Amino acid sequence: MHRAWSVGNFALLEIKIMKTMQTIAIIGASGNMGSAISKSLSKGNYRLLLCAREQDKVQAVVEEIRSSNPAAAVEAIDCSVEASWEADIIIVAVPYEAEKEVAQKIREVSNQKIVISISNPLNSSYNGLVTAPDTSAAEELQKSLPNAKVVKAFNTTFAADFSTPVIDGRQADAFVAGNEEDALRTVSELVSTAGFNPLLAGDLSVSRTLENMQLLLIQLNMKYNYNWLAGWKILHQ
Amino acid sequence: MYDLFFQKFQEKVPLSNEEQEQIKAYLTPKKLRKRQYLLQKGDVCKAIAFVEKGTLREYSVESGSEHIIQFAIEGWTISDLFSFLTGEPATYHIEAIEEAELILISKSAHEELLKVQPKYETYMRLLITGAYIALQRRHTSNISLPVEERYRNFTEMYPDIVQRVPQHMIASYLGLTPETLSRIRKKMANRE
Repeated sequence: MHRAWSVGNFALLEIKIMKTMQTIAIIGASGNMGSAISKSLSKGNYRLLLCAREQDKVQAVVEEIRSSNPAAAVEAIDCSVEASWEADIIIVAVPYEAEKEVAQKIREVSNQKIVISISNPLNSSYNGLVTAPDTSAAEELQKSLPNAKVVKAFNTTFAADFSTPVIDGRQADAFVAGNEEDALRTVSELVSTAGFNPLLAGDLSVSRTLENMQLLLIQLNMKYNYNWLAGWKILHQ
Repeated sequence: MYDLFFQKFQEKVPLSNEEQEQIKAYLTPKKLRKRQYLLQKGDVCKAIAFVEKGTLREYSVESGSEHIIQFAIEGWTISDLFSFLTGEPATYHIEAIEEAELILISKSAHEELLKVQPKYETYMRLLITGAYIALQRRHTSNISLPVEERYRNFTEMYPDIVQRVPQHMIASYLGLTPETLSRIRKKMANRE
């Protein structure tokens, strides 16, 4: 089966849906974003390994997914290393401050794998980022995992957007940035499965812009009470 | 995690520590559970898999019945080489019949390694040559040998697989029904 869509000003991206089920490890799957991503990806042809410190919380997410979709291939797993070893794709859904520790643990088993960075390195007062202007959370994760294929995705979408990816009649865009074409294609497919319009934004350094965009959206959300249901949409001809 | 991979590599082509580290950066460690697919027919085979631990089988399904093409146990490599090399959809399924620990070499890693490390190229040439020889040996045996001799050759060449793999899969590999294989085994046992 082939599916294609135009991605902004970039070339037409053709996706070939694979029959072989890919395994995705979601580290931090009991959190707001981690559980939202897990729920929405369970609709696709993926096998999900949900991983988090609090086993009861992550087990609850598994139960919730199974009750709405009994056919979903999903299970809780208590070890991020085991989950990442089995995985083809790893989603690091932990706060920026915890990423380094996770990276150290999974470094060996994530070799050559796609690792998705979703975090926004916000400071505690939500008025700036803790990262230096010449880097980003995604680039820092890439430094910790030099042989992994780090891709930035799902950082400009709020957790609530995953259950409502069409907001005010328009499908939210979700930006994807990274350095490897194959990895970008795979992650775009994930974004599309989650219900968003994937938009290739550029190489991994574009994550600096994407992380600042979410800082702005968070500030706007608090100022105008969007109730955490808001997203980006690029208007174009 | 990579011990057996590099042990087998070094048996054919010795490597310095630096070369080993360089190659390691391109490898993907991957675990499969029992009955999980590494590849399904119709997808492009994107990696060569080296088995660190466990057993896999490669097979086709023709009008409802399975035909096993290859087994792989510790120290062996397995892939749909035709699909891997041509980029065409795979004609075989590859499945773990025991929980497995694999080292994958993706197509892009393979191509990059061929460029940057001549010793990898040598190793791959030897591997693919070996795979071709095994394939031809199998064809010849299937065409020209009586079934009993085919089974005896198999047990002599691959005693480990005979221990590890259920009989009906060995029958499928040899192109026999499980009943025929069981008859042959009984006959051989009686003679001894």
